[in-house]
Amino acid sequence: MRLVVERFTHNALALLAVTTILFFMFRLMPGTPLAAFINENLNADQQQQMLEQFGLDRPMWQQYFIYLANLLQGEMGLSFFQRRPVTTILLEVLPNSVILTLSSLVIAYVFGVLAGAWLAWKRGSWIERVAVPAVLATRAAPEFWIGMVLLSLLSFNAGWFPSGGASSPGLAYTSNWQRMLSWDYIHHLALPVLTLALYLQGLPLLLMRSNMLEVMHEEFVTMARMKGFSEWRIVIHHAARNALLPVVTAFALGVGLSMGGNVVIETVFSWPGIGRLLVQAVSVHDYPLAQGAFLMIAMVLALMNFVADLLYIVLDPRVSHGRRG
Amino acid sequence: MILEVDKLQIDYQAKDGVTRAVDGASFVVPEGRIVGLVGESGCGKTTAVRAIMGVLAENGRRAGGRIVFKGQEVDAATTKRLLWRDIAYVPQSAMSSLDPVYTVGAQIVEVLTKRGNANRRDARKRAAELFDLVGLNERRLADYPHQFSGGMRQRAAIAMALALSPSLLLADEPVTALDVIVQRQILDMLRDLQERLHLSMVLVTHDISVVAYLCDEVVVMYAGQVIESGPVREVLARPRHPYTMGLRNAFPDLMTDAMELVPIGGSPPDLRDAPPGCRFAPRCPFVLETCTTGADGHSLANGHMSACRRDGEADLLRKEALDPVTWQRSSSFAAS
Amino acid sequence: MAGVAETATPTVLQRIASMPLRDPFAFVGLSIYVIFALIALLADVLAPMPPLEILFTSTGKLAANLPPSLDYPFGTTNLGRDIYAQLIHGTRSALAVGLSAAIVVSSVGTVVGLVAGYFGGRIDSLLMRIADMALSLPFLPFVIVLTGFLGASTSNIVLAVALLLWPNSARVIRSQVLTVRERTYVEAARVTGASSWRILFVHVAPNILPLSFVYAAIAIGWAIITEASVSFLGFGDSESVSWGYMLQDAFSSQALSRGQYAWFVPPGICIILIVVAGFFISRGYEEVFMPRLRGR
Repeated sequence: MRLVVERFTHNALALLAVTTILFFMFRLMPGTPLAAFINENLNADQQQQMLEQFGLDRPMWQQYFIYLANLLQGEMGLSFFQRRPVTTILLEVLPNSVILTLSSLVIAYVFGVLAGAWLAWKRGSWIERVAVPAVLATRAAPEFWIGMVLLSLLSFNAGWFPSGGASSPGLAYTSNWQRMLSWDYIHHLALPVLTLALYLQGLPLLLMRSNMLEVMHEEFVTMARMKGFSEWRIVIHHAARNALLPVVTAFALGVGLSMGGNVVIETVFSWPGIGRLLVQAVSVHDYPLAQGAFLMIAMVLALMNFVADLLYIVLDPRVSHGRRG
Repeated sequence: MILEVDKLQIDYQAKDGVTRAVDGASFVVPEGRIVGLVGESGCGKTTAVRAIMGVLAENGRRAGGRIVFKGQEVDAATTKRLLWRDIAYVPQSAMSSLDPVYTVGAQIVEVLTKRGNANRRDARKRAAELFDLVGLNERRLADYPHQFSGGMRQRAAIAMALALSPSLLLADEPVTALDVIVQRQILDMLRDLQERLHLSMVLVTHDISVVAYLCDEVVVMYAGQVIESGPVREVLARPRHPYTMGLRNAFPDLMTDAMELVPIGGSPPDLRDAPPGCRFAPRCPFVLETCTTGADGHSLANGHMSACRRDGEADLLRKEALDPVTWQRSSSFAAS
Repeated sequence: MAGVAETATPTVLQRIASMPLRDPFAFVGLSIYVIFALIALLADVLAPMPPLEILFTSTGKLAANLPPSLDYPFGTTNLGRDIYAQLIHGTRSALAVGLSAAIVVSSVGTVVGLVAGYFGGRIDSLLMRIADMALSLPFLPFVIVLTGFLGASTSNIVLAVALLLWPNSARVIRSQVLTVRERTYVEAARVTGASSWRILFVHVAPNILPLSFVYAAIAIGWAIITEASVSFLGFGDSESVSWGYMLQDAFSSQALSRGQYAWFVPPGICIILIVVAGFFISRGYEEVFMPRLRGR
């Protein structure tokens, strides 16, 4: 329990640091400080409202605390171009990013863990000599380039998948849920998910492989052998169970990291998620929206770091159950 | 004889060649006896025991010899049937030998249900009995390995080994990692269990005082070979191989207080390039020309075997070996 | 004490230098580096055509979207530019970004790791807190925001990459320093009264040098991928032709729907080769110097 609190504090402090960095970063950007939040696209009423809400006429340190207080209430200002609250816009696109990230990560990790364990099993064979460099190459390729190649091959050339977006034009749905469960949505989701999964599978695969190789040399695995257990029991119950620990943690971390990495994938596939929103906001200098999108990504990252810590505590008895005499 | 090991040969394949870690080692384990397998680290004693369990490292291979269990010759495949049910193992470090992510109780239950025919409820009851047998509170079954102290972990490992009532126990340095007081407790417990359960046991150790304390028979290994064996009292009182004489000098408990400890100079040979003739010759204070050539010595009298080529002069050499100066000669010899 | 150090230093350096000869993977990696370095140096010879020059056919029409031919091995872009020339010249900006980021990342990471690990205490916890902070920033979004607002220049990209990547190397080097610090010859140097800085740079630093190399090799790849991603998103340096610029150009000019694979496949392959080379080299160094870090 003490550990949980400790990890929570740690991650919360890190997030606070990030928001602080962000605050000063956006205010030190070229242009007047006011320009960071107010621009001429807003009407006079809106401008006045923003001035008061963010205390933009007050000293920097006061602005900082007003900014934090606003953040705690989920208040991130108005987007310059959409003229709508940033929070609303973010919450609209967040599900798209979460679905994209989670589904590709699940596919990548299920495949990666199985293939990694299998490759550990096949150690020294020609399969390993071919597969390991091939997997390294997928880790080395820029995500968006994998996306471009798949897009060209499977969408433009073969015509199996739509070339971008999250839904076909002209379709209407009664609710967001209905939309996300529709065949059309899944059809649009498939190619970005495939791309991301292809990029992401390398980490769990290589991690699982090297963990398995390491664990198979542990004394307790030899002991399991001495006990006459079946090979299956030795590999699954003892070796894989131990080798999985870091992979599970990596999964949670992967959710946070890949939300940030989605920036390019979402752009390639015109997928309406947080990453693409960030890119658009930055390119049109929509500061409030860019700041909000960035913060949202940073928040997911911090949250998932915390979840990874928790998982580690839960899964490894050496951490969760202290030493006793 | 519950176990006979005959001219066992074990090879390790490495990048730079083959190492014969065990080279023609033979010994027997009589029913209901404790046999000490003693030697310096790297002499092949652990490899020999692991070969009996059929779990050599990946690059290891049985190159020759026979292993006979209860009159039946066993190979890698047939050994698998015997594992844990007939032959069980007590590891040196129970910490690394227990799976860190399961409770100790769960691991004993696993053995009872997967290798024995117990159902889960009986298995749990039996696990509690086993813990009782080795002097552990049954509540500790719910604890993870890292929550035990070193001595308790070793007890848990012994409980684990006894789970399926094996007839032969192979213990590899079972007390080496422990402090002296705990060592004694565990050794006493092992002897007690051995008598009560009529176990046969092979105890691998580098510590000749442990052999003297616990064992009935002793097998001395050097550089992959058995160089002396026989009843403990006989061998330790009248060692006939200079290596055993030196080993006896190098350990405290056996000797009277007045005696100073005398180490054997030099170190064991590289097995990729073993010396011809007697492998101890380069360190032996009594070495003669004939020791480095010709056939092995092998003399057997009253169950006491020695591989020394000067076995006829054993009584004389033993007297000289008591003098520390003799061993200085050996170390200067080994250095040159 | 000096004797120990002077025998230790050259052997580590010699081992660093001779490692690629012993590890076939590292040899392949180093060869890839050398080849790309040669291409970058000889770019003007290999591709005399300026990469942004607009070409016309003999009939005076714009030489747009030409398929690969002898004259234009990878064809031309929709604006009639030679893709081969762009690829060759792109090597320069890739190496420039990669090497400068690698130098900054590994030198900052090494110095921070050394100081934090050796002196410990408050300096250590302060530096490690800063590292934690940098690691909790989402990588690519941070680079985009920084280059998007500070201006799309190569140096800003390198700055952003360096700001976020140094903590990884600093952490690992710090923990290595913690073990090296306890070795007997360091202890001996301390007892004979050598100054802290002398011990740090003469006795400890040579032992963690291999790690600096590992992180430099990794940083090269990361920086190149990052530059490509940022350029692809449109925040790249508009002055220079990079592989990322080529990919962005191809993407926004509908090269995908036209199936102009010769336009967008080669830059990706080049990036993969350079990044994999970094993996191979770091793998080689880890294998030779830190066998315990790796699975068997």
